[in-house]
Amino acid sequence: MQLGRVARIVLGAITLVVLALIYLPLGVVFLNSISTSESLSWPPPGFTLEWWGRALHSTGALEALGTSVVVGLIASAIALVLGTLAAMALSRYRFFGKETVNLLIVLPIALPGIVTGIALNNAFRTLMGVDLAMWTLVVAHATFCIVTVYNNAFARLNASGTRLEEASMDLGAGLFTTFRLVTFPHLKSALMAGGLLAFALSFDEIIVTTFTAGTGVTTLPLWILQNMFRPSQAPVVAVIAVILAVVSVIPLAIAQRLTAKDAEAVSR
Amino acid sequence: MDPAIRLRGLHKRFGDTIAVADLDLDIAEGEFFSMLGPSGSGKTTVLRIIAGFEQPTSGSVALFGRDVTALAPFARPVNTVFQDYALFPHLSVIANVEYGLRVAGVARKERRAKAEEALASVRLAGFEDRRPHELSGGQRQRVALARAIVLRPQALLLDEPLGALDLKLREQMQVELKELQRSLGITFVFVTHDQDEALTLSDRVAVFDAGRVVQLGTPREVYDHPRNPFIASFVGSSTLLEPDVAERFGLPAIATAVRPERVTLDAPDGGVAGTIAEVIYTGPEHRIVIDLDGVGARITALEPNIGAAQRRSRGDRVTVSIDPAAAAPLESDAPAA
Repeated sequence: MQLGRVARIVLGAITLVVLALIYLPLGVVFLNSISTSESLSWPPPGFTLEWWGRALHSTGALEALGTSVVVGLIASAIALVLGTLAAMALSRYRFFGKETVNLLIVLPIALPGIVTGIALNNAFRTLMGVDLAMWTLVVAHATFCIVTVYNNAFARLNASGTRLEEASMDLGAGLFTTFRLVTFPHLKSALMAGGLLAFALSFDEIIVTTFTAGTGVTTLPLWILQNMFRPSQAPVVAVIAVILAVVSVIPLAIAQRLTAKDAEAVSR
Repeated sequence: MDPAIRLRGLHKRFGDTIAVADLDLDIAEGEFFSMLGPSGSGKTTVLRIIAGFEQPTSGSVALFGRDVTALAPFARPVNTVFQDYALFPHLSVIANVEYGLRVAGVARKERRAKAEEALASVRLAGFEDRRPHELSGGQRQRVALARAIVLRPQALLLDEPLGALDLKLREQMQVELKELQRSLGITFVFVTHDQDEALTLSDRVAVFDAGRVVQLGTPREVYDHPRNPFIASFVGSSTLLEPDVAERFGLPAIATAVRPERVTLDAPDGGVAGTIAEVIYTGPEHRIVIDLDGVGARITALEPNIGAAQRRSRGDRVTVSIDPAAAAPLESDAPAA
């Protein structure tokens, strides 16, 4: 399609504005993290790596980073196991209420975080009568982490159909051998992508986290929220925000590459 | 002796559709048996029921006298060559062929030797370390064959295995399949919608239509004596004569199918007069369509291409005769073609 000169210029301008709105604030956060002004005054009077040094020696921030990583890893691991099992069940078997189960599995990602948060908070404290802790946070994160794993695995299983599994069974392999030798190798990259997405989701989640983390359990986003309005901490928060952004984006990028590579392999 | 495959009262329903209706079938040991029919006629479903991928709604499957209806595919002594080959894309050619032996727990060295032998038998020695996507369609086909026969199945099930190949390759593979079946001496059950293939390869053919076997016999029986209009037109080509037209040719006054190559033009003892409506040159032969006088019907004849001497053209007057032995009276209860 050919666009007129005016249309091209207008569209280009709109694109630039939108991209600027998204990325300029991010750039500002980065600049703040190396600005010599403690109160984040604009424009930055000069540049320094002092805040980065301080952030890397801040026990609170490092502990929060550790908590986020551990929570993300365990929640993703739970999601990988449960999401794969659910995807296998829903793509390979016919049973009553299948569509409903499908919807119920995917729903948590669409539910407002505040609803999930309140619901889980109530369920843990009132219904189950347990104290919020690290594990309640992990369970809460797993509810929406499952969705990305499930979606990826389900899409792959549906695209490939049952022919390879049938061939395997025809050649004498039972259900588990077939899963181990045929289904899993085929699913591996989809699971990787799903797991990475799940980790990225968990890593920057704050709403559900607020309602389900026990006292003293501070994830990186929680730590930022708690320290954001302390004047002396502002530049350190900017440093942590930059780290958070990078750690979240890298898995996403890898996941996207994995998916693209497989789409190629499947179409071959 | 028990037949290799015995199907009794086989019935398969998918929702409201009946895929297979009350099928009884015996397939002998060492037989090259074809299930021929258009798509949706139930032939593939029958194959999948024999392999164990589908459970019959009712009826039973017995292999060599043993009822296997309730057994999973991996517990049945048959192997399948799939329509799209279903090679494992993440495994090399040799690993694909070794797969069945590997899951059966055969030692590495032994299974490698057997797999190499199987690959050699389909003339693919030297391709061991390739990946399936690096092979041509014909080569993948051979890998799928090798992967199935390396397990020495008591019967080999083939689901339109040549469907994806081009004509030349298909003809070559037909010959190889036949040779392979002869040398292995095992039962082949071959599903196809290609009547040439079925006639060329088979000891016996079952013609499927709408979930039923409408005719079962040797290729010659099925081709020379199609039982109903559907078979007459699906297996090879035929002219279907209405009872009154059949009578004009001195045949019994019932619907009759005639193969074009069995129609004689200008025989010494006369016949039914007509005018040539069309002459189609196909290379080895001429296909001649004749308007028969007085009955408003057409008949097709086939004459070998023997040079310019007997060239016929549109509008020529001819007489048409049919050898009564070559005409196939059709059953009246049969569904219309």
